[in-house]
Amino acid sequence: MTDYFQEMGWRELEDGEQPNHLLHMARFLIDFGMYDDNFTGEWPRLPPPASKESVKNLKEVKIEDENQNCPICLKKFNINDTAKVMPCQHLFHEKCILTWLNQTNSCPFCRHELPTDDEAYEAFKKEKKRSEQRKEDIEALHNSMFS
Amino acid sequence: MANIAAKRIKREFKEVMKSEEVAGGAIKLELINDSWTELQGEIAGPSDTPYEGGTFILEIKVPETYPFNPPKIRFVTKIWHPNVSSVTGAICLDILKDQWAAALTLRTVLLSLQALLSAAEPNDPQDAVVAKQYKENPQLFHMTARHWTNVYAGGPASIVEFNQKVQRLLDMGVDEHDARVALSTYDWELERATEQLFS
Repeated sequence: MTDYFQEMGWRELEDGEQPNHLLHMARFLIDFGMYDDNFTGEWPRLPPPASKESVKNLKEVKIEDENQNCPICLKKFNINDTAKVMPCQHLFHEKCILTWLNQTNSCPFCRHELPTDDEAYEAFKKEKKRSEQRKEDIEALHNSMFS
Repeated sequence: MANIAAKRIKREFKEVMKSEEVAGGAIKLELINDSWTELQGEIAGPSDTPYEGGTFILEIKVPETYPFNPPKIRFVTKIWHPNVSSVTGAICLDILKDQWAAALTLRTVLLSLQALLSAAEPNDPQDAVVAKQYKENPQLFHMTARHWTNVYAGGPASIVEFNQKVQRLLDMGVDEHDARVALSTYDWELERATEQLFS
């Protein structure tokens, strides 16, 4: 059985750490429909850079097929070039993709997101997931009652 | 200009010229200067829209940081559309702002703009007046957009009633474009447009 904290996506408080009462209050208000301006689901600017860790962990491959372009500079790869591979399997020149990921965290080709080091953005993503999950739950409940 | 930007634009330019959209006349791309920083785009108004038959010219400025930042694009041809400023031609389209991705190209951007003409986003407007008309009086919006396409973009559908009203204001000494903007803004009610122009 997964433990309760894991199931809820929570973690235990560290020693001396206080719960975030404001966050709880805000969630309470939203969950009970007392706060009308619902979560809009948009991050208002370009998402932050990819985390240093995730950039460091990008895999490299040797190019074997010469008919492939780097989607950033649009130059053809040479055979035996090394290219960086995003988790979505898209290939880029190292210099190209590092410049991009230093600016924002998603694949320039398919928008697959890497983790970031930006706490606010990560909290936003979590909240977005939460609100989507909530919507699904309500819909499932509604369907089970009225269909 | 940084090397990568110029090199990429050159590659893109070749690519666009070979594309079927250029061959089919849906989009066009021309160089403005030799440094590959300024280009002029052209898109054909999509069929089954009030922009059908019109040709819309776009100013494209390529920043030094391209393709890591989006090109700056605005409509040079005046257009009546919720997501384009009827005054400046500024465009509200997410991929030209925070949804830009380095793998997008001038070709895909021009095609996206063409798609924007087919499917406006009135809830994320650039021009609030146009967006309001789009939502509250779609039929009038459609006619106004067709009229603008006819006058500014060479579209085929001339709307006699609108032309006559513009002419009435011209006879009063009002600038033609100002007259058209005032009439379009006030749902083609001559009195209200006149009042606004002379207040």
